[in-house]
Amino acid sequence: MEERENNIKKFQKELLSGIAALVLLSVLDKSEKPLYGYQITKILGKGGKGFSLLKLGALYPVLRSLEKSTLLSSSVEPSFSGPPRRYYSITQEGKETVREWQKIWGQTQDFVNDIVGGVD
Amino acid sequence: MNTISDYLSELKKNLQGRDSALVQDALADAEEYLTDALAGVKEEQPGLSDSDAFSLAVEQYGLPGEIAQEYISIEKRTGPYSPNVKKGKSIFARFFGIFADSKTWGAVLFILISLITGCIYFSWSAAGISLTLGLILFIFGLFVLLFYLYSLRGIALLEGRLVEGLLGVRMPHRPLFMPKGMGWKEQLKMLFKEKHTWFTLIYTILQLPLGVIYFSLFIILIAASLSSCVFPFWVNGILKLNGLVSSINFTVSMWTTPLFILGGILLLTLTLWMCRGIGWLHGKWARLMLVVE
Repeated sequence: MEERENNIKKFQKELLSGIAALVLLSVLDKSEKPLYGYQITKILGKGGKGFSLLKLGALYPVLRSLEKSTLLSSSVEPSFSGPPRRYYSITQEGKETVREWQKIWGQTQDFVNDIVGGVD
Repeated sequence: MNTISDYLSELKKNLQGRDSALVQDALADAEEYLTDALAGVKEEQPGLSDSDAFSLAVEQYGLPGEIAQEYISIEKRTGPYSPNVKKGKSIFARFFGIFADSKTWGAVLFILISLITGCIYFSWSAAGISLTLGLILFIFGLFVLLFYLYSLRGIALLEGRLVEGLLGVRMPHRPLFMPKGMGWKEQLKMLFKEKHTWFTLIYTILQLPLGVIYFSLFIILIAASLSSCVFPFWVNGILKLNGLVSSINFTVSMWTTPLFILGGILLLTLTLWMCRGIGWLHGKWARLMLVVE
Protein backbone atom coordinates (compact mmCIF):
# COMPACT_ATOMS: atom_id res chain seq x y z
CA MET A 1 0.00 0.00 0.00
CA GLU A 2 2.78 2.35 1.00
CA GLU A 3 4.64 1.47 -2.14
CA ARG A 4 1.65 2.39 -4.27
CA GLU A 5 1.39 5.76 -2.55
CA ASN A 6 5.07 6.35 -3.15
CA ASN A 7 4.61 5.50 -6.80
CA ILE A 8 1.74 7.96 -7.07
CA LYS A 9 3.79 10.69 -5.41
CA LYS A 10 6.75 9.94 -7.64
CA PHE A 11 4.56 10.10 -10.75
CA GLN A 12 3.04 13.42 -9.70
CA LYS A 13 6.42 14.87 -8.89
CA GLU A 14 7.92 13.86 -12.22
CA LEU A 15 4.93 15.20 -14.12
CA LEU A 16 5.08 18.54 -12.32
CA SER A 17 8.80 19.02 -12.61
CA GLY A 18 8.48 18.40 -16.34
CA ILE A 19 6.11 21.32 -16.74
CA ALA A 20 7.52 23.62 -14.03
CA ALA A 21 9.35 25.76 -16.60
CA LEU A 22 6.16 26.17 -18.68
CA VAL A 23 4.12 27.11 -15.62
CA LEU A 24 6.68 29.63 -14.36
CA LEU A 25 7.04 31.25 -17.78
CA SER A 26 3.25 31.45 -18.13
CA VAL A 27 2.86 33.09 -14.71
CA LEU A 28 5.45 35.73 -15.57
CA ASP A 29 3.98 36.15 -19.04
CA LYS A 30 0.59 37.02 -17.53
CA SER A 31 2.00 39.30 -14.86
CA GLU A 32 2.27 42.97 -15.71
CA LYS A 33 5.09 43.65 -13.29
CA PRO A 34 8.20 41.71 -12.28
CA LEU A 35 7.65 39.15 -9.53
CA TYR A 36 9.91 37.69 -6.86
CA GLY A 37 10.02 34.04 -5.86
CA TYR A 38 7.56 34.14 -2.97
CA GLN A 39 4.98 36.07 -5.00
CA ILE A 40 5.21 33.46 -7.75
CA THR A 41 4.72 30.62 -5.27
CA LYS A 42 1.66 32.45 -3.87
CA ILE A 43 0.13 32.69 -7.34
CA LEU A 44 0.79 28.98 -7.91
CA GLY A 45 -0.79 28.21 -4.53
CA LYS A 46 -4.04 29.84 -5.70
CA GLY A 47 -4.16 27.53 -8.71
CA GLY A 48 -5.20 24.54 -6.61
CA LYS A 49 -3.48 21.73 -4.81
CA GLY A 50 -1.40 20.58 -7.77
CA PHE A 51 1.83 22.40 -7.09
CA SER A 52 1.83 21.79 -3.36
CA LEU A 53 3.18 18.34 -4.20
CA LEU A 54 6.25 19.90 -5.67
CA LYS A 55 8.54 21.53 -3.14
CA LEU A 56 8.54 25.27 -3.74
CA GLY A 57 12.29 25.36 -3.26
CA ALA A 58 12.58 23.32 -6.45
CA LEU A 59 11.15 26.22 -8.47
CA TYR A 60 14.01 28.58 -7.68
CA PRO A 61 16.71 26.71 -9.59
CA VAL A 62 14.25 26.45 -12.52
CA LEU A 63 13.84 30.26 -12.49
CA ARG A 64 17.59 30.58 -12.47
CA SER A 65 18.05 28.22 -15.40
CA LEU A 66 15.35 30.08 -17.37
CA GLU A 67 17.27 33.27 -16.74
CA LYS A 68 20.46 31.61 -17.91
CA SER A 69 18.78 30.67 -21.17
CA THR A 70 17.68 34.35 -21.52
CA LEU A 71 13.95 33.55 -21.33
CA LEU A 72 13.74 35.54 -18.12
CA SER A 73 15.63 38.55 -16.86
CA SER A 74 16.01 39.60 -13.27
CA SER A 75 17.07 42.41 -11.00
CA VAL A 76 17.87 42.49 -7.31
CA GLU A 77 16.08 45.03 -5.19
CA PRO A 78 16.41 45.70 -1.49
CA SER A 79 13.53 44.69 0.76
CA PHE A 80 12.49 46.27 4.05
CA SER A 81 11.76 43.01 5.77
CA GLY A 82 14.88 40.99 5.03
CA PRO A 83 17.47 40.15 2.41
CA PRO A 84 17.23 41.74 -1.06
CA ARG A 85 14.76 40.12 -3.42
CA ARG A 86 15.32 38.97 -6.96
CA TYR A 87 12.53 40.13 -9.25
CA TYR A 88 12.01 38.13 -12.42
CA SER A 89 10.37 39.30 -15.61
CA ILE A 90 9.87 37.62 -18.96
CA THR A 91 11.98 38.65 -21.96
CA GLN A 92 10.75 39.02 -25.54
CA GLU A 93 12.43 35.73 -26.34
CA GLY A 94 10.66 34.20 -23.33
CA LYS A 95 7.30 35.47 -24.59
CA GLU A 96 7.87 33.91 -27.99
CA THR A 97 9.10 30.68 -26.42
CA VAL A 98 6.16 30.36 -24.05
CA ARG A 99 3.73 30.61 -27.00
CA GLU A 100 5.52 27.68 -28.65
CA TRP A 101 5.56 25.73 -25.39
CA GLN A 102 1.87 26.36 -24.81
CA LYS A 103 1.15 25.05 -28.31
CA ILE A 104 3.18 21.92 -27.57
CA TRP A 105 1.40 21.56 -24.24
CA GLY A 106 -1.97 21.72 -26.03
CA GLN A 107 -0.89 19.07 -28.48
CA THR A 108 0.45 16.87 -25.68
CA GLN A 109 -2.78 17.31 -23.76
CA ASP A 110 -4.84 16.25 -26.79
CA PHE A 111 -2.59 13.29 -27.40
CA VAL A 112 -2.70 12.11 -23.79
CA ASN A 113 -6.47 12.64 -23.61
CA ASP A 114 -6.90 10.54 -26.74
CA ILE A 115 -4.91 7.68 -25.27
CA VAL A 116 -5.99 7.94 -21.66
CA GLY A 117 -9.48 9.33 -22.42
CA GLY A 118 -12.54 7.93 -20.75
CA VAL A 119 -10.91 7.55 -17.35
CA ASP A 120 -12.86 9.41 -14.65
CA MET B 1 16.56 23.10 12.96
CA ASN B 2 14.50 26.03 14.21
CA THR B 3 15.75 29.13 12.47
CA ILE B 4 16.63 30.31 9.00
CA SER B 5 20.33 30.28 9.77
CA ASP B 6 20.04 26.64 10.96
CA TYR B 7 18.39 25.82 7.66
CA LEU B 8 21.06 27.67 5.69
CA SER B 9 23.92 25.90 7.42
CA GLU B 10 22.20 22.55 6.84
CA LEU B 11 21.74 23.41 3.16
CA LYS B 12 25.38 24.45 2.95
CA LYS B 13 26.40 21.11 4.43
CA ASN B 14 24.35 19.30 1.79
CA LEU B 15 26.03 21.28 -0.95
CA GLN B 16 29.53 20.75 0.37
CA GLY B 17 32.14 20.32 -2.35
CA ARG B 18 29.85 21.83 -5.01
CA ASP B 19 30.54 24.88 -7.11
CA SER B 20 30.78 27.76 -4.64
CA ALA B 21 28.77 30.11 -6.85
CA LEU B 22 25.96 27.54 -6.92
CA VAL B 23 26.07 27.26 -3.13
CA GLN B 24 25.83 31.03 -2.80
CA ASP B 25 22.81 31.13 -5.14
CA ALA B 26 21.02 28.31 -3.30
CA LEU B 27 21.60 29.95 0.09
CA ALA B 28 20.39 33.33 -1.13
CA ASP B 29 17.22 31.82 -2.64
CA ALA B 30 16.44 29.87 0.52
CA GLU B 31 17.00 32.90 2.74
CA GLU B 32 14.80 35.07 0.55
CA TYR B 33 11.95 32.55 0.45
CA LEU B 34 12.03 31.55 4.11
CA THR B 35 12.08 35.17 5.29
CA ASP B 36 9.05 36.00 3.14
CA ALA B 37 7.25 32.73 3.93
CA LEU B 38 7.76 33.14 7.70
CA ALA B 39 6.26 36.62 7.57
CA GLY B 40 3.44 35.30 5.36
CA VAL B 41 2.59 32.37 7.64
CA LYS B 42 2.55 34.58 10.72
CA GLU B 43 0.28 37.04 9.02
CA GLU B 44 -2.17 34.32 8.02
CA GLN B 45 -2.04 32.47 11.34
CA PRO B 46 -1.03 34.97 14.04
CA GLY B 47 -1.44 32.41 16.83
CA LEU B 48 1.26 30.12 15.50
CA SER B 49 4.49 29.80 17.46
CA ASP B 50 7.79 30.76 15.81
CA SER B 51 9.00 27.19 15.51
CA ASP B 52 5.67 25.96 14.07
CA ALA B 53 5.65 28.76 11.53
CA PHE B 54 9.22 27.87 10.59
CA SER B 55 8.37 24.16 10.19
CA LEU B 56 5.44 25.06 7.95
CA ALA B 57 7.62 27.27 5.76
CA VAL B 58 10.26 24.55 5.49
CA GLU B 59 7.64 21.93 4.70
CA GLN B 60 6.49 24.00 1.74
CA TYR B 61 9.96 24.92 0.59
CA GLY B 62 11.50 21.47 0.99
CA LEU B 63 14.13 20.00 3.29
CA PRO B 64 17.75 21.10 2.79
CA GLY B 65 18.69 17.70 1.37
CA GLU B 66 15.92 17.74 -1.26
CA ILE B 67 16.61 21.32 -2.28
CA ALA B 68 20.34 20.70 -2.58
CA GLN B 69 19.54 17.83 -4.96
CA GLU B 70 17.34 20.08 -7.11
CA TYR B 71 20.10 22.65 -7.54
CA ILE B 72 22.66 19.98 -8.33
CA SER B 73 20.50 18.23 -10.92
CA ILE B 74 19.53 21.47 -12.70
CA GLU B 75 23.12 22.72 -12.70
CA LYS B 76 24.17 19.44 -14.31
CA ARG B 77 21.66 19.89 -17.12
CA THR B 78 22.38 23.56 -17.76
CA GLY B 79 26.06 24.32 -17.22
CA PRO B 80 27.30 27.90 -17.63
CA TYR B 81 27.84 27.28 -21.37
CA SER B 82 28.56 24.44 -23.77
CA PRO B 83 31.76 24.69 -25.75
CA ASN B 84 31.22 24.87 -29.50
CA VAL B 85 34.51 23.32 -30.51
CA LYS B 86 33.65 19.66 -30.53
CA LYS B 87 36.07 16.91 -29.81
CA GLY B 88 36.93 14.37 -32.48
CA LYS B 89 37.62 16.96 -35.17
CA SER B 90 41.02 17.15 -36.84
CA ILE B 91 43.65 19.33 -35.19
CA PHE B 92 43.49 21.67 -38.17
CA ALA B 93 39.72 22.13 -37.83
CA ARG B 94 40.03 22.63 -34.10
CA PHE B 95 42.82 25.17 -34.51
CA PHE B 96 40.87 27.33 -36.96
CA GLY B 97 37.52 26.47 -35.35
CA ILE B 98 38.38 29.16 -32.82
CA PHE B 99 36.96 31.78 -35.20
CA ALA B 100 33.51 30.16 -35.02
CA ASP B 101 33.48 29.77 -31.24
CA SER B 102 31.41 32.37 -29.43
CA LYS B 103 33.59 31.93 -26.35
CA THR B 104 36.53 33.39 -28.26
CA TRP B 105 34.69 36.59 -29.07
CA GLY B 106 33.48 36.80 -25.50
CA ALA B 107 37.10 36.65 -24.35
CA VAL B 108 38.12 39.29 -26.92
CA LEU B 109 35.35 41.58 -25.73
CA PHE B 110 36.38 40.99 -22.12
CA ILE B 111 39.97 41.92 -22.95
CA LEU B 112 38.85 45.14 -24.63
CA ILE B 113 36.54 46.01 -21.73
CA SER B 114 39.05 45.08 -19.04
CA LEU B 115 41.10 48.21 -19.73
CA ILE B 116 38.06 50.39 -19.09
CA THR B 117 36.80 48.46 -16.07
CA GLY B 118 40.40 48.34 -14.78
CA CYS B 119 40.60 52.15 -14.93
CA ILE B 120 37.23 52.56 -13.22
CA TYR B 121 37.89 50.03 -10.44
CA PHE B 122 41.37 51.39 -9.82
CA SER B 123 40.21 55.01 -9.62
CA TRP B 124 37.35 54.01 -7.34
CA SER B 125 39.65 52.09 -5.01
CA ALA B 126 42.32 54.81 -5.04
CA ALA B 127 39.68 57.43 -4.27
CA GLY B 128 38.03 55.23 -1.62
CA ILE B 129 41.26 54.40 0.18
CA SER B 130 42.69 57.91 0.14
CA LEU B 131 39.41 59.48 1.21
CA THR B 132 39.07 57.02 4.07
CA LEU B 133 42.66 57.50 5.20
CA GLY B 134 42.21 61.26 5.10
CA LEU B 135 39.01 61.19 7.10
CA ILE B 136 39.70 58.25 9.40
CA LEU B 137 40.25 60.51 12.41
CA PHE B 138 36.68 61.70 12.19
CA ILE B 139 33.68 59.51 12.80
CA PHE B 140 32.50 60.56 9.37
CA GLY B 141 35.51 58.74 7.88
CA LEU B 142 34.19 55.46 9.22
CA PHE B 143 30.94 55.94 7.32
CA VAL B 144 32.93 56.64 4.17
CA LEU B 145 34.87 53.44 4.84
CA LEU B 146 31.67 51.46 5.35
CA PHE B 147 30.22 52.83 2.12
CA TYR B 148 33.43 52.06 0.27
CA LEU B 149 33.62 48.47 1.59
CA TYR B 150 30.00 47.89 0.58
CA SER B 151 30.73 49.29 -2.86
CA LEU B 152 33.43 46.62 -3.21
CA ARG B 153 30.75 43.97 -2.81
CA GLY B 154 28.80 45.63 -5.59
CA ILE B 155 31.89 45.67 -7.79
CA ALA B 156 32.52 41.99 -7.05
CA LEU B 157 28.97 41.11 -8.13
CA LEU B 158 29.11 43.29 -11.25
CA GLU B 159 32.49 41.97 -12.32
CA GLY B 160 31.21 38.45 -11.63
CA ARG B 161 28.31 38.97 -14.04
CA LEU B 162 30.74 40.30 -16.65
CA VAL B 163 33.10 37.36 -16.17
CA GLU B 164 30.26 34.83 -16.40
CA GLY B 165 28.67 36.51 -19.41
CA LEU B 166 31.85 36.88 -21.41
CA LEU B 167 34.15 34.15 -20.16
CA GLY B 168 31.56 31.50 -19.31
CA VAL B 169 32.87 30.95 -15.79
CA ARG B 170 30.17 30.33 -13.18
CA MET B 171 30.00 33.31 -10.79
CA PRO B 172 27.53 34.28 -8.05
CA HIS B 173 24.20 35.68 -9.22
CA ARG B 174 23.21 37.19 -5.93
CA PRO B 175 24.67 39.76 -3.60
CA LEU B 176 25.93 38.70 -0.18
CA PHE B 177 23.64 39.41 2.72
CA MET B 178 24.21 41.05 6.07
CA PRO B 179 22.33 39.70 9.07
CA LYS B 180 19.25 41.77 9.80
CA GLY B 181 19.29 44.47 12.45
CA MET B 182 23.07 44.81 12.65
CA GLY B 183 24.50 48.14 13.81
CA TRP B 184 26.88 49.98 11.49
CA LYS B 185 29.86 49.32 13.76
CA GLU B 186 29.23 45.58 13.67
CA GLN B 187 28.76 45.74 9.92
CA LEU B 188 32.09 47.52 9.57
CA LYS B 189 33.76 44.98 11.82
CA MET B 190 32.28 42.10 9.85
CA LEU B 191 33.32 43.58 6.51
CA PHE B 192 36.81 44.14 7.90
CA LYS B 193 37.11 40.54 9.06
CA GLU B 194 35.92 39.08 5.77
CA LYS B 195 38.62 37.72 3.50
CA HIS B 196 36.32 38.45 0.57
CA THR B 197 36.51 42.23 1.12
CA TRP B 198 40.29 42.29 0.89
CA PHE B 199 40.41 39.89 -2.04
CA THR B 200 38.00 42.12 -3.95
CA LEU B 201 40.12 45.15 -3.10
CA ILE B 202 43.23 43.43 -4.48
CA TYR B 203 41.27 42.42 -7.56
CA THR B 204 40.08 45.97 -8.25
CA ILE B 205 43.63 47.32 -7.97
CA LEU B 206 45.28 44.62 -10.06
CA GLN B 207 42.60 44.84 -12.74
CA LEU B 208 44.23 48.02 -14.11
CA PRO B 209 47.72 46.58 -14.81
CA LEU B 210 46.13 43.34 -16.03
CA GLY B 211 43.76 45.28 -18.28
CA VAL B 212 46.68 47.28 -19.71
CA ILE B 213 48.67 44.10 -20.39
CA TYR B 214 45.71 42.26 -21.98
CA PHE B 215 44.71 45.22 -24.08
CA SER B 216 48.22 46.04 -25.30
CA LEU B 217 49.05 42.44 -26.12
CA PHE B 218 45.84 42.08 -28.06
CA ILE B 219 46.15 45.33 -30.01
CA ILE B 220 49.83 44.79 -30.83
CA LEU B 221 49.29 41.24 -32.05
CA ILE B 222 46.15 42.09 -34.03
CA ALA B 223 47.95 45.05 -35.64
CA ALA B 224 50.96 42.87 -36.47
CA SER B 225 48.85 40.12 -38.06
CA LEU B 226 46.67 42.49 -40.07
CA SER B 227 49.65 44.49 -41.29
CA SER B 228 51.39 41.29 -42.30
CA CYS B 229 48.36 40.46 -44.46
CA VAL B 230 48.36 43.82 -46.27
CA PHE B 231 52.11 44.52 -46.28
CA PRO B 232 52.94 43.18 -49.79
CA PHE B 233 49.95 45.00 -51.31
CA TRP B 234 50.93 48.17 -49.53
CA VAL B 235 54.52 48.12 -50.75
CA ASN B 236 53.99 46.73 -54.25
CA GLY B 237 50.69 48.37 -54.89
CA ILE B 238 50.07 51.70 -53.30
CA LEU B 239 53.60 52.92 -52.60
CA LYS B 240 55.19 51.78 -55.88
CA LEU B 241 52.36 52.69 -58.17
CA ASN B 242 52.30 56.16 -56.76
CA GLY B 243 56.03 56.42 -57.16
CA LEU B 244 56.53 56.88 -53.45
CA VAL B 245 59.16 54.15 -53.28
CA SER B 246 61.79 53.71 -55.90
CA SER B 247 64.59 52.15 -53.92
CA ILE B 248 65.21 48.47 -54.43
CA ASN B 249 65.35 47.99 -50.66
CA PHE B 250 61.62 48.47 -50.40
CA THR B 251 60.70 45.90 -52.99
CA VAL B 252 58.87 42.83 -51.84
CA SER B 253 58.91 39.98 -54.33
CA MET B 254 55.48 39.04 -55.58
CA TRP B 255 55.93 35.38 -54.68
CA THR B 256 56.23 36.22 -50.98
CA THR B 257 52.72 37.73 -50.94
CA PRO B 258 50.92 34.45 -50.00
CA LEU B 259 53.53 33.85 -47.31
CA PHE B 260 52.85 37.23 -45.71
CA ILE B 261 49.12 36.62 -45.85
CA LEU B 262 49.47 33.11 -44.45
CA GLY B 263 51.74 34.38 -41.69
CA GLY B 264 49.20 37.10 -40.88
CA ILE B 265 46.31 34.64 -40.67
CA LEU B 266 48.37 32.29 -38.54
CA LEU B 267 49.30 35.08 -36.14
CA LEU B 268 45.67 36.23 -36.02
CA THR B 269 44.55 32.71 -35.11
CA LEU B 270 47.26 32.41 -32.49
CA THR B 271 46.22 35.78 -31.07
CA LEU B 272 42.67 34.49 -30.66
CA TRP B 273 44.00 31.39 -28.93
CA MET B 274 45.94 33.68 -26.64
CA CYS B 275 42.71 35.56 -25.87
CA ARG B 276 41.07 32.27 -24.96
CA GLY B 277 44.01 31.47 -22.72
CA ILE B 278 43.80 34.87 -21.04
CA GLY B 279 40.04 34.39 -20.65
CA TRP B 280 40.56 30.99 -19.04
CA LEU B 281 43.23 32.24 -16.67
CA HIS B 282 41.31 35.38 -15.78
CA GLY B 283 38.21 33.29 -15.09
CA LYS B 284 40.21 31.23 -12.57
CA TRP B 285 41.60 34.41 -11.04
CA ALA B 286 38.17 36.04 -10.74
CA ARG B 287 36.72 32.93 -9.10
CA LEU B 288 39.59 32.82 -6.65
CA MET B 289 39.25 36.48 -5.70
CA LEU B 290 35.55 37.28 -6.02
CA VAL B 291 33.68 34.16 -4.90
CA VAL B 292 33.18 33.55 -1.22
CA GLU B 293 34.03 29.95 -0.35
